[in-house]
Amino acid sequence: MRPEMEKVLAEIEKVIAGKRDVIVKILTALLADGHVLLDDVPGVGKTTLAVAISRAVDLNYKRVQFTPDVLPSDLVGFSMYDQRSGGFSYHPGALNDANLLLGDEINRASSKTQSALLEAMEERQVTVDGETYPLQKPFLAIATQNSVGAAGTQFLPYAQVDRFLVRLSLGYPDYAAQMEMLKNRQGINPIDQVRCVMTKEALLAAQEEARQVVSRDAILDYITRLTMASREHAAVDVGISPRGALFLDRMAKAHAWVEGRDFATGHDVQVVFRDVCAHRVLLKENSENNVDDVLNDLLKTVENPDRHSRGMLKQ
Amino acid sequence: MKKRIIGYAVWLILACLLYFFENNTGTRIVLACSLLPPFVPIIRRGFFGRDELIWWPRELTQTVQTFADRAADDPGDVRAYQPGDPVNRIHWKLSAKRDELLVREQAKDRTAEEAETKAVTETKQPAESSAKKRVFLMGLSILLFSLLLLFVLPSANQGMKALLNRLFEASEKVNAYAYDRFDVPANTPVGWAVLLLAVMALSLLSITLLSGSRLPALGILAGCVLFQVYFGLAFPGWIMVPLFSLFALWMLKRPWNRKAVICVLSGVAALSLTVLLIWPGVDAATEAASETVRDRLSQMAQSLDGTTQEAPAGENETRRVHTLSLTAGDQEARPDREYRLVTVEEEQVSMPHWVNYLRIILLLLLTAALVVLPFLPFVWLNRQRKRALEARAVFQSENVSEAVFAIFQHMIAWLEATGNGNGNAPYAAWRVDIAPDYAQRFAACEKLFEEAAYSTHEMREEQRQQAMALLTETEQILQRQADWKQRLRLKYKECLWV
Repeated sequence: MRPEMEKVLAEIEKVIAGKRDVIVKILTALLADGHVLLDDVPGVGKTTLAVAISRAVDLNYKRVQFTPDVLPSDLVGFSMYDQRSGGFSYHPGALNDANLLLGDEINRASSKTQSALLEAMEERQVTVDGETYPLQKPFLAIATQNSVGAAGTQFLPYAQVDRFLVRLSLGYPDYAAQMEMLKNRQGINPIDQVRCVMTKEALLAAQEEARQVVSRDAILDYITRLTMASREHAAVDVGISPRGALFLDRMAKAHAWVEGRDFATGHDVQVVFRDVCAHRVLLKENSENNVDDVLNDLLKTVENPDRHSRGMLKQ
Repeated sequence: MKKRIIGYAVWLILACLLYFFENNTGTRIVLACSLLPPFVPIIRRGFFGRDELIWWPRELTQTVQTFADRAADDPGDVRAYQPGDPVNRIHWKLSAKRDELLVREQAKDRTAEEAETKAVTETKQPAESSAKKRVFLMGLSILLFSLLLLFVLPSANQGMKALLNRLFEASEKVNAYAYDRFDVPANTPVGWAVLLLAVMALSLLSITLLSGSRLPALGILAGCVLFQVYFGLAFPGWIMVPLFSLFALWMLKRPWNRKAVICVLSGVAALSLTVLLIWPGVDAATEAASETVRDRLSQMAQSLDGTTQEAPAGENETRRVHTLSLTAGDQEARPDREYRLVTVEEEQVSMPHWVNYLRIILLLLLTAALVVLPFLPFVWLNRQRKRALEARAVFQSENVSEAVFAIFQHMIAWLEATGNGNGNAPYAAWRVDIAPDYAQRFAACEKLFEEAAYSTHEMREEQRQQAMALLTETEQILQRQADWKQRLRLKYKECLWV
């Protein structure tokens, strides 16, 4: 792993113990310039994690707790008549100056608000009254969905879930991790000890480097075969979209960069495959499998590029 | 090579000739088999560094040699071109690559060495060659003189004929018939003829040994075949098998290796045994039946002749009546009818013609199969080997990443051949654990593989060395750990890298 990433990871692990994998994946998604959907029960440290990341990487952190009465204008800002100047002036919303946005319980927001957020995430700009305002760079949204007590809420439709780069789950800590957490919180809050170890500029540069990582034809071929196989799988109703394939490549590249390489491998694709694709696959209604089975099945049956098309590897 | 192909073609034609004039299948097939090119021992550098002796069909040695030549052709040392160096020593390919004129150092050395050895041999040669020539001429003159004596000396001539008669007699059991072709007294001594023939054979042998050519062997074989075809006789198997093993030995590349001789002899013996068991030649019972029928036929013919002679001159009509009343069972027509019955019997015994044709076709097919079949594994092996060598050549490719890629694929093939594979998982996820710390080294090498396969940048020479070292180690460990079945499989794989 790259030393700079190690440093960031070490800082974040001061507050969240035993969740190294998920933290690495969130950081990887950050490098791939994508957004994260956290599917989690309350109280496992989503907010703490987001705060820790924003402190370690020197990002501007904003948090929106979604409820049914949060309006789109709360996110993207609004124009208000200013009596003194005699014109409309723009009041920025939560998105405008955020580098890291934690949208908590996005499924509780109205669909209108959800759409506003997702458009902003995709375009990386907001438009209010015909004026377009670019968002900060980098911009990472971590949205959480909470399936507990979900009555009367609106889960994100498939088309909108597709826009998140990865869907992750923190899950409960194990015994050792929880003991450590409890011990750490006896005195001061460890979140205050998180130091900034990476500047915003360094992060942007890292994102650029991750974009420059080479994906050779063999890798692209593997991604294509994986996604096509997912569309043809017997248990699958809607398979992985082309955007999913694009995201898979991007995430694999970022993973390769985190691992300290300047080329993506089949293993990179496999490592990130479940996180990138789990929320993009809709199973048939009468299907007995769950999504994880299907994805594992795909990984098992589709020949990985190490073994497949040896000619293609050496072009 | 051309010479060899012609020689082999002649052998094949002779083998086919033998079959066209077959009357003793078993022996013939043995002959054809003994005509197959023998195996020759080749010393080669084994996979694990030790020299090994392997058996390879002689006709295929060419490829092995060319590979060795190619290895020797390696550029080796090159140095910068200096004015005065011959143009044909310039290593054009390398020069083009490095953008400066380079001259082969090794080539120069080699030619110098050659010149040296040539000079040495030249000083030795005159005395040796003149002695050789003298012996050769002596042998030739003895041969011709003996031949002349054999024809001119009456006792030798007669003895030769008697010897042949005895040979034919000896082959009676095999050929089912024999007769005195030459009209000589029964107890003519054959001593002179035998002595002269032995002298001829000896001188012929010495000539061929000296000349180192295989043509005399071919000539003698052709002579034998023509002799047999002309007389319509085959020597009995006990003569043919040693004779043709002798030819097979003759065809061996000299100097003879004890192993090679044993191999050839046992090959001929095994083949003749198998063939004699499968196709024991003429069926003695059929032959005996046909013989008795023939005897009876001649008796009948004689008795018929007797009756016609006794009949009056103008009795042609009566004979027609005889034939007409045959069906009626006329007593007078009985001899004629019996004759016919015996004729029918003979036809039954000696089978219809088409069966014979079928037999010939079958025999030809069998011959072809026997001639071709022993080659097939070697042809196939050779192709495999060539492919393997091509893959192996990539290990030293100028493009290091290509080489590392090939090395790793090769290593994977070894691991999978010994059941250490991990299916469709990427190599990064493999946990190969065949020796202490091996998994670690494998993981390190796997990184090289990924770099070679998926990166676009150049790789370094020491990375190739690292991969190569791990490959060697893998092979050694696997070889040590394998049970006998796997060892056989590995041996086969190893044999591909001659």
